[in-house]
Amino acid sequence: MAEKIKENIRNFCIIAHIDHGKSTLADRLMELTGQVAERDMEEQLLDSMDLERERGITIKLTPVRMAYKAKNGKDYVFNLIDTPGHVDFTYEVSRSLAACEGAILIVDATQGIEAQTLANCYLALDNNLEIVPVINKIDLASANPDETAKEIEDVIGLDGSSAPRISAKNGINIDQVLEKIVEDVPPPKGDDDAPLKALIFDSYYDNFKGVICFVRIMDGTVMPGMKIKTFKGDKQFDVTEVGTFNPQLIPKKSLSSGEVGYIAASIKSIEDIKVGDTITEALRPAKEPLAGYKSVQPVVFSGIYPLDGSKYNDLKEALLKLKLNDASLTFEPDNSTALGFGFRCGFLGLLHMEIIQERIEREFDIDIITTAPSVSYKVHKTDGSVVTVDNPSRFPDVSSIDYCEEPIIEANIFTPPDYVGAIMDLCQEKRGVFTDMTYLDAKRVKLNYKLPLNEIIFDFFDGLKSRTRGYASFDYELKGYEKSELVKLDMMLNGEICDALSLIVHKDKAYPRGRALAERLKDVIPRQLFEVPIQAAVGGKVIARETVKAMRKDVLAKCYGGDITRKRKLLEKQKEGKKKMRQLGSVEVPSEAFMSILKIDSDN
Amino acid sequence: MAGIYIHVPFCKSKCTYCDFASYPKEIGKADLYFACLYKEIKAKAESLKNYEFDSVYIGGGTPSFVEPKYIFGAIKQLRNFYKITETAEITIEINPGTLTEEKLKIYKSLGVNRFSVGLQSADDRQLSALNRIHTAADFLAAAKLLKDENFSADILIGLENQTEEDVKKSIDLATDSGASHISCYALKPEEGTPIFGKYLNGDLPSEDETADLYDFAVDYLAKKGFVRYEISNFAKDGKVSRHNLNYWNRGEYIGFGVSASSFIGNRRFTNTEKIDEYTACILRDKSPEIFGEVIEGDEAEFEYIMLKLRTSDGFEFSDFKDRFGSDFRQKYAEKIKEVLPFIDIDDRRLRIKPERLYVQSEIVIRFMD
Repeated sequence: MAEKIKENIRNFCIIAHIDHGKSTLADRLMELTGQVAERDMEEQLLDSMDLERERGITIKLTPVRMAYKAKNGKDYVFNLIDTPGHVDFTYEVSRSLAACEGAILIVDATQGIEAQTLANCYLALDNNLEIVPVINKIDLASANPDETAKEIEDVIGLDGSSAPRISAKNGINIDQVLEKIVEDVPPPKGDDDAPLKALIFDSYYDNFKGVICFVRIMDGTVMPGMKIKTFKGDKQFDVTEVGTFNPQLIPKKSLSSGEVGYIAASIKSIEDIKVGDTITEALRPAKEPLAGYKSVQPVVFSGIYPLDGSKYNDLKEALLKLKLNDASLTFEPDNSTALGFGFRCGFLGLLHMEIIQERIEREFDIDIITTAPSVSYKVHKTDGSVVTVDNPSRFPDVSSIDYCEEPIIEANIFTPPDYVGAIMDLCQEKRGVFTDMTYLDAKRVKLNYKLPLNEIIFDFFDGLKSRTRGYASFDYELKGYEKSELVKLDMMLNGEICDALSLIVHKDKAYPRGRALAERLKDVIPRQLFEVPIQAAVGGKVIARETVKAMRKDVLAKCYGGDITRKRKLLEKQKEGKKKMRQLGSVEVPSEAFMSILKIDSDN
Repeated sequence: MAGIYIHVPFCKSKCTYCDFASYPKEIGKADLYFACLYKEIKAKAESLKNYEFDSVYIGGGTPSFVEPKYIFGAIKQLRNFYKITETAEITIEINPGTLTEEKLKIYKSLGVNRFSVGLQSADDRQLSALNRIHTAADFLAAAKLLKDENFSADILIGLENQTEEDVKKSIDLATDSGASHISCYALKPEEGTPIFGKYLNGDLPSEDETADLYDFAVDYLAKKGFVRYEISNFAKDGKVSRHNLNYWNRGEYIGFGVSASSFIGNRRFTNTEKIDEYTACILRDKSPEIFGEVIEGDEAEFEYIMLKLRTSDGFEFSDFKDRFGSDFRQKYAEKIKEVLPFIDIDDRRLRIKPERLYVQSEIVIRFMD
């Protein structure tokens, strides 16, 4: 048994900043390798979720296998594993990197290297991947490929002069990219006869085949009929199908070392498979698992509740299915007096949170109510104990608190120098502490700030984009916890505290936030038969008050010709609208109210 | 006792708020339309031969706009084929700009004994903004013709720039000229009407402003001796509208003509609102009905509650029991508790508190499942 080089296989991913043309290049590669006939092309094949296409981002990892006859006359198999580009999905990126030997780095010839690209590029280098830089968008008038090539050399330290200069959109010089992959990406190594070691880098649930595991075979061979198991689980499964990606599933007789493909083994429970785990043979197991991935900690938390309480189990099923290929999502049962039974969920960031929420609504067709995002605080109590609080309704009573700590991030903000002042103002408003500022070149500045995470989870990114006309980019890293004067801000409707609207805020922010929130709630809560006072309170002390006046007039107009049916239908519609609201004590609150907390800052 | 409704889908010009089946440009089709109407009246007679009718209402559109011969034909046809009681209330809607002595004489000869006159406002600028075809002076002239008759006037609340003074003037004009009944409606901008644009622009009074004007109208009418017997209807000396009360009592009625609705037995049904479709159906002996449903059980109970609670008297529990066989207070105990602050209830009857009648919808939907 010996390790062999699989000379004709190339496994690679593409690293690029959002909108720098990753999905478009992937489409061109597939087109040129005859994977898809041009007429069948739907824009951006790999972004299979509607959500991905609409937002122009990649969330899931979608692998595809391509056949390529190189100019040297030899035939090659390419496995491309797509990667997400957003900061929230760094974890996903590291997953796909572990399955590859090389990475194509796309740099936009009009914009240069962006912060996130750099971060992912370093990640790839850490994983010992060979980087193939490509300069894209050369067809645009504002393209400056020479400067971009120089930047690649200066910033990353790679040879930019030989980087293919392409236009993925117009299909210019794509063949050069294919040749570069053959030349520069190392072929995988592995032993087909050794015990099976397959890295699970993604998975999803298929109603007919059970869990489909996306794997990179490191050693050994897998074929239908084989008994397999995972290192973390103790169940055994019979392989029913193996194959590759077209990007649709194409069954094959077997998969062996160096290859990327899928395994189906009638795995019924999605909890039996953990992304990052290693699959091996049940009868002849490998001695140890592959390194897998470091586990990630969620940093943003919010409550997700079904709009219709009877959908609780459907929601649970949806979260389980989403977790199957998104290990970073965490959730546990929770209940709120206002919203009933639901889940407290943890996310990698705000975008991740939004994506999960949208997927629940779209892919599982469950209407949900989400509460304002929170971060995880540490509360040191007078009795010496420390509790972690990520749910405002669990914030301990003030009298039992010695002091609190909140998570702090180190933010790297890249910007043209013109906007430095505006960004400093923004960071100041968000309780930021300036740490450093460096000129990367005459046109780019890097600002470093220490910021409380709870200040950036609301709308920091929007604020940054609007104040810099979209020029600044931003990247952050958790630094740890720091002492902070935190208070719980309660919202009261008709004199009763609504737990789902509570927030943990810095004491200096309590008053402006309480006032803004009360104003916002006044706008979203419809008039009722009686007056509804809205109060913001800290520690039982009311700091702001608004009133929703009682409804005065809702009578249906004259009915000509005795059309009672129409009148009744209108009333039914009115009643239907009510059912979408939450009854909090005697007050009816529309579901938007619970998200309104998110929007208060952007209005101020 | 049951009611009859006849729809006249013609008018001289469309008012900016009008959402009803009325077609100013189709008057050329009047001959065909009325021929079909007479045919429909006759065709349904057999199935209604056991009914007696004590109210007839001719609405529109503008019934007083068409040549009186058409009205003549319609009422003759009704009298030929239906049992209309001696004392039946027979109402016709009148636009003040279209009434003549001649027309009135014909209506009276047919037994019309109640006239519903669309005044809407006493302010000529407001009338012209609504695209009404008459002035306040036209109303005075019509009222003069009707001075010995039982007549009602419609008044609109919630017009652009309307003040309490405007509302007072409209009420004064109507009541001082002899109206014994006032229908006072708050303008409801319907999508698809020109006034909806004004509404979207924010040119119309707000909910609160309209409610204030309405409260003023209610008080002022009370001072003038008008009793509010239904959300939007006020009568002096007991001159209530029998036809409309029949709707609120969940009584039966048959409707003829385009867009007319009927409630016979436990079935509600409505005719098409398109003139051409209506005439084509009638000529081919097909039903012009485009919608029909049987109302039973809880749905029937809800209808009763929603309709009865429009009236100032509400309803009596004994009547509820007679109709549905159940004890209202027992069956709806939970829901009664929910609306308790907004209703008057004793061991005999339930009604909405007068000052809450204007949020009647919000109250009654609590009785819906």
